[in-house]
Amino acid sequence: MYNLIRFIQKHHFVILFLALEVLCITLLTLTQSFHRQKRINTTNDLVGKVYATGTDIGDYFRLGKINRDLAEENAQLRRQLAVVTDTLESYTETVNKDTIYEFIPARVVNNTVNRPNNYLLIDKGKADGIEKDMGVISSDGIVGIVSDVSQHYASVMSLLHSYSTISVRFKNNGHLGILHWGTTNYRYGIIDDIPTHLLLQEGDTVVTSSYSFIFPENLLAGTVTELIQSPSGTLNKAKIRFATDFSTLKNVYVIHHTNKAELDALIKNQQQL
Amino acid sequence: MNRVLINIIRFVLLVVAQILVINHIRLGGYVHPYIYLIFVMLLPLNIPGWQLLLSGFGMGLVIDLFMGTLGMHAGATTLMAFCRPAIIRLVSGNLKFENVREPSINQMGFPWFLRYTLCMVTLHNFTLFMLEGFTFHLVGQALLRILLSVPVSMFLILLILYFFAPTKKRDRTPV
Repeated sequence: MYNLIRFIQKHHFVILFLALEVLCITLLTLTQSFHRQKRINTTNDLVGKVYATGTDIGDYFRLGKINRDLAEENAQLRRQLAVVTDTLESYTETVNKDTIYEFIPARVVNNTVNRPNNYLLIDKGKADGIEKDMGVISSDGIVGIVSDVSQHYASVMSLLHSYSTISVRFKNNGHLGILHWGTTNYRYGIIDDIPTHLLLQEGDTVVTSSYSFIFPENLLAGTVTELIQSPSGTLNKAKIRFATDFSTLKNVYVIHHTNKAELDALIKNQQQL
Repeated sequence: MNRVLINIIRFVLLVVAQILVINHIRLGGYVHPYIYLIFVMLLPLNIPGWQLLLSGFGMGLVIDLFMGTLGMHAGATTLMAFCRPAIIRLVSGNLKFENVREPSINQMGFPWFLRYTLCMVTLHNFTLFMLEGFTFHLVGQALLRILLSVPVSMFLILLILYFFAPTKKRDRTPV
């Protein structure tokens, strides 16, 4: 026993070092392993508050640009509204007045684009009606899906994540595809498994499909920049330029699908049959 | 001022600067400068080993909490703290610093400090990016990141230290 204590005293530096490293590796494997990618730590309210304060200070210097962006969006929405009100007048009797999507505005307080798996932190949480698996969009296009919620903040798995997949449709021919990141550049994503007969042009628009309950149909996802022919001549890939510029993301909207619980229950029943 | 207090203030300022300013630097996605290493680099020379290790670990852990990479920075910084005494011996060679309490450009000279920064930053970045690569199976990319990030980190660290180094006039006489 005495020898053991002397041994520990003599080598405490190395022993403590090894203990700390083992602790680090354990933490790393616990939080980064394939199925447990919950980010309990960054959705924690204290960390959220620090980031929010930092963003407040940063925003102060960017007020001009933020104002311009919002004004631009306002103008665009007004133009759309004008068209919509025109056409709507003739339909008001037939159209069901309940819309199934609600948009909750939120502000991005932290954001990364250059890691293998990227997340955003937004300043709305459970208290504002945010739940896990809600879609997040910006005024330009889709952004990601809520992955974790705390009382006042939520962490969003952005499209720039190795597990992000979004069901999309080519606007001009209606063909469906799965959009994922697949590159290391934050401006580009990939759509796999495109049949060879499908001829895509550069600049073709990609929008969200109606097969997802997370995003409404026809939201802009990006544009085709390149069709990558597969060497074996089977299925092609397309390189997509995201509509959203993730590096300058500031204001986003969280989408609340009011009938989602009902739909989920229905699908669950269907699978059990 | 109290040594401990100085180090605590340094700790907080470096965390804030790293999280809110430096982490927003994006040069093509490959450059990730880390300046919080200054905290471990400037700890007193005669600090007991366990305090050195725990300081490094604590710094890494706080950075991890903010970046959502629990264990990654803590692991790299603990290893750096562990190797610090050996690195100091290595870069000092025959030089002896009898009356110096903590490493500084003024007292050790620029060449010494450059070598010291190079060793510490390279070791840290290498461990960090290897841990990241180990988690995300992108080893080639990790190597490219190290090559690009080390010079930028070193430049920033030396710049900051140069700015905040006490001038010759205010130089405290060693106790």
